[in-house]
Amino acid sequence: MAIKFERVSFQYRGIDEKGYLALADINLSIAAKGEFITLIGETGSGKSTLAQHMNALLTPTEGRVHVFGVKLTSDKKKNRRQRLNPIRQRVGLVFQFPEYQLFEETVLKDIIFGPKNFGVGQDEAVERAKKMIKVVGLDESYLERSPFNLSGGEKKRVSIAGILAMEPEILILDEPTSGLDPMGRNALLEVFHNIHEQLGKTVVIITHDMNTVYEYAKRVLVLREGALVYDGDPSGLFSRKHVEDWNLELPEILRIQRALEERFGIKLDKSPRSRKELIEALGEVVG
Amino acid sequence: MNMIDIENLSFTYGGKVEALKNVSLCVKKGEWVTILGHNGSGKSTLAKLIVGLLKPQKGTIRVDGVELSERTVHDIRKKVGIVFQNPDNQFVGVTVRDDIAFGLENLRIPREEMIERIEHYAKRVDMYSYLNKEPQALSGGQKQRVAIAGILAMRTEVIIFDEATSMLDPDGRKRILSYMRKLRDDGVTVVTITHDMREAVQSDRIVVLKDGEILKADKSEDVLKDKETLEKSNLELLLPLEVLHGLEHKKSTNEEIKEFLWQLSLNG
Repeated sequence: MAIKFERVSFQYRGIDEKGYLALADINLSIAAKGEFITLIGETGSGKSTLAQHMNALLTPTEGRVHVFGVKLTSDKKKNRRQRLNPIRQRVGLVFQFPEYQLFEETVLKDIIFGPKNFGVGQDEAVERAKKMIKVVGLDESYLERSPFNLSGGEKKRVSIAGILAMEPEILILDEPTSGLDPMGRNALLEVFHNIHEQLGKTVVIITHDMNTVYEYAKRVLVLREGALVYDGDPSGLFSRKHVEDWNLELPEILRIQRALEERFGIKLDKSPRSRKELIEALGEVVG
Repeated sequence: MNMIDIENLSFTYGGKVEALKNVSLCVKKGEWVTILGHNGSGKSTLAKLIVGLLKPQKGTIRVDGVELSERTVHDIRKKVGIVFQNPDNQFVGVTVRDDIAFGLENLRIPREEMIERIEHYAKRVDMYSYLNKEPQALSGGQKQRVAIAGILAMRTEVIIFDEATSMLDPDGRKRILSYMRKLRDDGVTVVTITHDMREAVQSDRIVVLKDGEILKADKSEDVLKDKETLEKSNLELLLPLEVLHGLEHKKSTNEEIKEFLWQLSLNG
């Protein structure tokens, strides 16, 4: 296992009193290849805190996290003696507002900053930038532009290209599509899907969008008040009991499927996972 | 009577990027209008121009009959409140109470009335028990509710929501949508700027922007069904309407199912 959590808890320390328990007794394993995971939970449930443990930006206050063979515990001195830089290259983390972290005068310089920081030469870094700007759906002309004159969606793509250029083995994205328009969101999700399918990389996406969960994820993690309450496939997640107990929003596809079933008794043989599949499946039954 | 009148408005950033090209539109008093469009379509630029955060380079903006200018901008801001996308960037107070008070202090509302309004609108957004809390103690959705309470408390005649729900979780988004409905019921003019069709579906009229130009402006029902226009602006049909569209050519699809899908889409 590339990443393994063993009985991990994390407490934020406030100046005042006892602090705040953000993660409670988490056990979890993530493989280095072939996973497509979505991590969901209400605001404040601990999603970002969990993600930051995956590349040692945060270390547990109880329990152990193993990341590519490096063990992290509450012993800060021991943690510091380990080489954490390679972990941060191998597990790439895109923050929730990556656009705020653009700072160079051109998009090119911003993208090559990460790889160069991890010892990649100038020429190779530029090559990667040219490749990754296309991977995120922009063309090469963007490389010479100032990151500050880009729209929100474009900035987001540039910052994701910067992480991809570091060639991480595992890619973790904290709400990568929030604020993007529908086509922009779909295009970016296709990018992640392709990275996963073609390069076999493990992708972990933190999201509030249940449609993303239902259409793309192979595995879903649900956090509630810091505890991992579900670790399984998306089809098992949206049972009536879970939806009620955890106040989940139904993916649109399921919402329509269930509404049509309730109202007209229309039952589909398949479980459509995309808009297109739903329309095809309904067309066969209704048409 | 028009609350907002925009004529031939153009705006270019840094002399290069044309954000708005000759846009004309109006919003009637008490109307709820959605400005829909892709990222970079000029939606937010339009919002910033209406509240005087940017200066029009060409064209005019009138609010309640008064033309926006350096001289009138302060009066216009008393009429038009705006809620932005990122709740972290708009929390100006030390506590929730201070934050809601901020706008009221600028309006020089007497102290007694100020306290009354703060408590009333904190209750309205379910944040009354948080009045003495600091922003660190709040989630993004809660901060956004406080920002809205601050605007509501100013009792402006127009409220603009500039992608105010896009960073919230489903629960947070639903709450804000319910405030928008309440505002409409109270006769406040609402302008929502979004690319979320679930937000647009509830408004009276939709204006679709693409690359700084108006593609279509019409009753919401008509725009919601217009697959071609929406896709031109990087948007997509609400799924029930996409299904409806997909089944349309099948003659045997009964009318009841079609009507049901339409109703389903109106429920967001």
